[in-house]
Amino acid sequence: MTVKEVKDFLSNIQPFQELDDATLGNIAGGVIVEFYPKDTLILQQDGPPSDFLRIIKKGGVKVFIRPDVNEEVVIDYRSEGDTFGLLSLIRGDRSRANVKAVEDTICYLVTKETIQGLLDGNAAFSEYFLKSFLNKYIDKTFSEMHSKSLLYGGGDKLLFTTPVGELASRTAVTAPNEISIKDAAEVMSKRKISSLVLVDQDNLPAGIVTDRDLRDKVVSKGLNVAEPISSIMSVPLMTTEARDYCFEALLKMIRYNIHHLLVIDDGKLRGILTNHDLMMLQGTSPISVVRDIETRQNIEDLVPVSKKINRIVNLLLKEGAKAGNITRIISEINDRLVRKILEIAERKFGKPPVDYCFIVFGSEGRKEQTFKTDQDNAIIYEDPKSPGDGKKAEEYFKGFSDFVKEALVACGFPNCPAGYMASNPKWRQPLKIWKDYFSKWINTPTPDSLLFSLIFFDFRPVHGDIKLADKLRAYLNKTLKNQNVFFARMAGTIMNNRPPLGFFKSFIVEKGGVHKDEFNLKFRGIGPIVDIARLFALERGLSETSTLERLRSLKDKHPIVMELGEEIEQAFEFISLLRIHHQIALMGKSLEPDNFINPNNLSGLEKKSLKESFQLILNIQEAITELYRPGMVNQ
Amino acid sequence: MLAGFFSRKDDTAPLAIGEAEYTVIDTELTGLDLKKDSIVSIGAVRMKGARIDIGASFYQLIHPSSGMDHKNILIHGITPSEVEQKPAIDAVLDELSAFCGDSVIVGHFVSLDINFINKELKRTGRKNMKNAAVDTCKIYEWIKSNEGPFSRHYTARRDELDLFSIAREYSISFNEGHNALSDAFITAQLFQRFLSSLPGSGVKSIRDLLKIGKA
Repeated sequence: MTVKEVKDFLSNIQPFQELDDATLGNIAGGVIVEFYPKDTLILQQDGPPSDFLRIIKKGGVKVFIRPDVNEEVVIDYRSEGDTFGLLSLIRGDRSRANVKAVEDTICYLVTKETIQGLLDGNAAFSEYFLKSFLNKYIDKTFSEMHSKSLLYGGGDKLLFTTPVGELASRTAVTAPNEISIKDAAEVMSKRKISSLVLVDQDNLPAGIVTDRDLRDKVVSKGLNVAEPISSIMSVPLMTTEARDYCFEALLKMIRYNIHHLLVIDDGKLRGILTNHDLMMLQGTSPISVVRDIETRQNIEDLVPVSKKINRIVNLLLKEGAKAGNITRIISEINDRLVRKILEIAERKFGKPPVDYCFIVFGSEGRKEQTFKTDQDNAIIYEDPKSPGDGKKAEEYFKGFSDFVKEALVACGFPNCPAGYMASNPKWRQPLKIWKDYFSKWINTPTPDSLLFSLIFFDFRPVHGDIKLADKLRAYLNKTLKNQNVFFARMAGTIMNNRPPLGFFKSFIVEKGGVHKDEFNLKFRGIGPIVDIARLFALERGLSETSTLERLRSLKDKHPIVMELGEEIEQAFEFISLLRIHHQIALMGKSLEPDNFINPNNLSGLEKKSLKESFQLILNIQEAITELYRPGMVNQ
Repeated sequence: MLAGFFSRKDDTAPLAIGEAEYTVIDTELTGLDLKKDSIVSIGAVRMKGARIDIGASFYQLIHPSSGMDHKNILIHGITPSEVEQKPAIDAVLDELSAFCGDSVIVGHFVSLDINFINKELKRTGRKNMKNAAVDTCKIYEWIKSNEGPFSRHYTARRDELDLFSIAREYSISFNEGHNALSDAFITAQLFQRFLSSLPGSGVKSIRDLLKIGKA
């Protein structure tokens, strides 16, 4: 590992390969080598800023943040040739994320001075870093983005394609630089602007004053407002060319910790760009879709809004959201869409004769939807007081649920081929019939009743009288108590679906057909974990329906989850994210999203993680066999 | 037999191993006979704690004071004609000691290198190296004897203790070149691994390190 070897290594990785030989030699000569054993925490969120750019020579790291103590959001896995620590290096304030070695890792460290020099002096070099890093840390402050959940964000691509001039419609308001602080503040408040450009006698910009200056330099210091504005204005002025792309402007703001830039066009002051403008550019965020949904009043207007939902997944992925958060957000948006449709239906058909609750189940019930999936829904309504009332309710919900079904189809949720929809009379029933269904499924061991249990027991209320769903859940938990035979049968289905990992730790793939050399990640990877979490949750009488919530709740209740909960959660997250990435890639090529993965297309780290996840599932399945064996023998 | 070199060891004793300065050193020789043979090249690299400073390296080919035999030319790949124009060791010694400064000397079987350097220091009327020195091979043997339930029974064969075998065991990648500088870098990486695991085994200060690995 001599200077030459370091140089050779750097010359093969982005963006160092853009640099000339002499520059590379200089960088290589200043490199420091560090070794981190597996699990070393290299950088700590909110800890001291990184003092080096670290380039991974060998090994791999996980970049993640903790929005709060119990939550970990994995932003990225990085491996050989990748770098980390740039943003805190540039800003020099604090580390924005945790970086942990996931295997024994060797890093080359390049000093801050060197990187600063390269960013300033080499356009190709800085552009690369801007793109790769700002994609992940796009928001103006990191903590803000994550504390307000991932509903914000997205649209970052625009940052790289929109010139500043297009955005900076705001013309800069100017004033002579000899006026007083008070006069300047008056102009700002009268014109409702947050910044004022001060010009000299020749009408050339001399400085800028912002709201923040008035706050920090005048009010908090008790400065006399009769003082000239020039005493507090910020000089030099930070400018950006109108033809520059927005990400360059954003980088300047981040680097100099400012919120305003003067936009210069052809040597003249054209306008002002604020960080608010950049935030607005990122526009198509989940929150804006939600707002959009709320304002629509009929189905025709909802259809175009619903089309945006798939795009959000893409944006969230770019934001570095983990699978659990993506599906949570998508479920939240879908719920709002469904609620809106139901509200429209209620207006159309009038007040329902009895209270009802609209429930969803399957992946929708577990809040694990990504791209639009088949409808899985039903209606529970209050037990009618008389046969006449019952008749009225049947009539009402018939038309009502047909309308809802068609509206959902129009908004991109296809009919359920098996007919698990409220439009099917079997699945819109009073509470007491639902209770009968549930006890029958639990007590009569037919394949059908087991299948219904797996699907319907993941139900959750979306709209209407939530109490009806709560009552049904309470009834279910009561009825399931000590139903060891039932649970053994449920455990039996889990044994029948093992992850595709062979004895010698190689992936088992389809030997032929359309999906030759692939396997179904949903059925064979995600499915088993969902089934395991459902089994344990129902057995312990939990009300949660989402797999991650079930696992978290089981942590202090079930010995297996107590021991392996963290790992199961991570495996579930990892496989789910892999699936979403796969589907996004297919949709990018205008193909239908499917669940078939060819393991040969995975990176080394992905393969390793997937094998570990599969192995974990196999181990838990073994443990379940031990637990339920007596009941399973009679299958 | 080397105890006399280390008069400074008590000064450096309280220093943590992650804080100390090290010079990792390797020499190529015309042969192993201290009386007849001499140094053909010296490579060294500085470490601050566990950080290897790639730029702070030292490499010098030397016109040996003794003849070079064919067998060793094959090992280190340095031919007589290559070193003919190179300085004699006298001219290199001061530069080397300036490079080492007060740091702790680290090397694989480093007492051999130190013996040869001291021989030249003495011959040219200079004083012996006073730096504390540790041998990565000894540290390796200590770690082996200290880990695992069978460690008491661990005895390595001599041929498994060479730098490359141990480096391979730690998955350190290298080109098997026998160049003094690249060998010093391999040794430095090995030492880097040791530094990351030793505190967990109770070896925390330079004093502890010398206890287990003094050359």
